[in-house]
Amino acid sequence: MAQVKLDIFRYDEAVDAVPHRDTVEVDVPVTMTVLDALETAKAEVDGSISFRRSCRSAICGSCSMNINGVTGLACKTPCKSVMNDEGVIQIDPMPNFQPMKDLVVHMDPFWDKYTRLKPYLQPADRDEDHETERRVSPADMKKLVDAANCVMCATCYALCPVVSVDPSFAGPAAIAYAYRFIEDVRDGKKKERLAQINEDYLWLCAHCYACSYCPKHVDPHDRIVDVKRATIQEGVMMDHPGPRHALVVNKTIKKTGMLAETEVIQGTVGIFNIRGLAKITPLAIRMAVKGKMPPPFLRPIPKVDEVRTIFESLEVPT
Amino acid sequence: MSSTLLPEEQATDSHRHSKSSQMRRYGFFPGCVAKESCKELFNSTMLLADKLGIELIELTAASCCGASVVNDTNRDIARVLNARTYAQAEALGLDDVITICSTCTGHMRAANMELLESEERMNQANSILGKFGAKYEGSVMVRHLLWLLIDDIGLDKLSSMVVRPLNGLRVAPFYGCHIIRPEKVNGWESARNPHSLEDVITAIGGEPVDYAGKTRCCGFHIQLEKDGVATSMVGQNMRIAKDRGAEAVITPCPLCHLALDGYQQDAAARWGRTDLPTFHLPQLVALALGVPAEKLGLNKHLIDPRTILVERELIA
Ligand code: SF4
Ligand code: SF4
Ligand code: SF4
Ligand code: SF4
Ligand code: FES
Repeated sequence: MAQVKLDIFRYDEAVDAVPHRDTVEVDVPVTMTVLDALETAKAEVDGSISFRRSCRSAICGSCSMNINGVTGLACKTPCKSVMNDEGVIQIDPMPNFQPMKDLVVHMDPFWDKYTRLKPYLQPADRDEDHETERRVSPADMKKLVDAANCVMCATCYALCPVVSVDPSFAGPAAIAYAYRFIEDVRDGKKKERLAQINEDYLWLCAHCYACSYCPKHVDPHDRIVDVKRATIQEGVMMDHPGPRHALVVNKTIKKTGMLAETEVIQGTVGIFNIRGLAKITPLAIRMAVKGKMPPPFLRPIPKVDEVRTIFESLEVPT
Repeated sequence: MSSTLLPEEQATDSHRHSKSSQMRRYGFFPGCVAKESCKELFNSTMLLADKLGIELIELTAASCCGASVVNDTNRDIARVLNARTYAQAEALGLDDVITICSTCTGHMRAANMELLESEERMNQANSILGKFGAKYEGSVMVRHLLWLLIDDIGLDKLSSMVVRPLNGLRVAPFYGCHIIRPEKVNGWESARNPHSLEDVITAIGGEPVDYAGKTRCCGFHIQLEKDGVATSMVGQNMRIAKDRGAEAVITPCPLCHLALDGYQQDAAARWGRTDLPTFHLPQLVALALGVPAEKLGLNKHLIDPRTILVERELIA
């Protein structure tokens, strides 16, 4: 047994103008989880401490919070691994959400993003036309299990830096869950799903891998990349900057071996997109003044034909 | 110092240093941006290498690493492009490949990991490389210059080489995602609490600024995607750094550099003025090691870093 000092964010939107902090001391074995410590605090010291939990074993996804500034499941985090020498553990609500009461946050934006993506099977044909249930081969199922393991804890959403500055981005969890249906052989709405997820800013993922801390190993970033590839393969939304950017980068590498910055900017924004180009022009001028503009044309690297061979050997004709 | 190490630490330590004693030649992969809009990074890296007494042999026929973008369309192409680069390094007898870009580091290491952990992928790569007589044997290790500074030169040696200490200049480290995440690809240091940049800042006489933005993303890859988003990511991180007392920023990633240097001005509307000059890692180290400031391309930056250097009496 040891003294664990929980330094807790306290706030009640119904009464408090500003949050404050309480330190609550509890005696628990240090191998117990942060959630256990919180439950002990609530039972023995202050019944008003509010937090969400249900399963206590990393299945329900309710107890995600910030523990020493790091978002994760309280029921999966042993006190021992996070307390400092004085036994203090800092506990805050998840970032990227509006706090409601103590560690409980308003989850609505997160659920809204799921709902928009219709997170249920939409088969192409009618149930009545099937003798048996719709079967999926183990190989086809294997592609889905990682994404289907999502427990909707929102850890990834709380960690996502794009969500933190632009809440219109669908966010890692919803896109990973969309993938779960996009790649489901029983589903009949692949193109519609892809179009929707592109509208919800699929390509706004900044590739930062903050969501790689998903406690269920969904690896949302990798699922996002899978959805981007599916978008291009299916030829959906090819006039959007995301797919255009991907294609022009590939094109310049194939041509020169290098990523030709000038061509990529023009290709992504669109050379006839006057509004788009006008927006990047002030920066372009600032850079040009400093002699910082990339060369307009690139000399190909030596043996660039080898690069072309690689592309040609692996490009799937579309 | 080594006598205080536990046996297993000694083992890892000697593993890390195994090549340092004889080998001072490295394969060098500068990446596209250091050859295009951030030439000052390329030049200051070469000047720094001179000071350090190491030889960086540029892999001149290497292609772009493909970054996240080729990966977005075709993972196999991204992997085989890098296998070609590694084959070139091996052909030159160089199995240590040094990068100066966080994004290159992450993507090249990921590709290498995929090749090394699957015979099938390695065979696929070699069957294509074979078409032009190349072969990758799997001996390459990709490391960032930052890790080379710490592992091969050593912080003590580095600080002993300093002739122009930074006078306690308060520098905020900005790592760039792909040099730390995902941990299974990089794993050189903790992605949640890295301190290699801080250690280098200290070694050259600066004072590292601790702030929440140091491991966050600058948004470079989505600059063209939607108005204001990447700008805001820059603004948010630079605001925190400035509020924690930073006078300048250092980054091992030219993409982060383009974003931080280029977008602070536009971010001011939402986040207030920050105007933090951003140094490429080798620029600031080279400066401390006595490379003349005029040679480091500091005049190429949009937010002029010379102002703070003059104020701190580091340059005239
Ligand atoms: S993807 Fe992972 S982190 Fe995100 S909500 Fe699902 S389980 Fe949680
Ligand atoms: S990788 Fe993409 S989705 Fe994941 S946290 Fe970063 S920006 Fe968000
Ligand atoms: S990641 Fe960027 S800098 Fe590195 S080689 Fe590729 S395009 Fe060039
Ligand atoms: S901070 Fe941005 S540009 Fe730099 S490595 Fe990370 S994602 Fe790439
Ligand atoms: S209580 Fe269910 S995931 Fe933590």
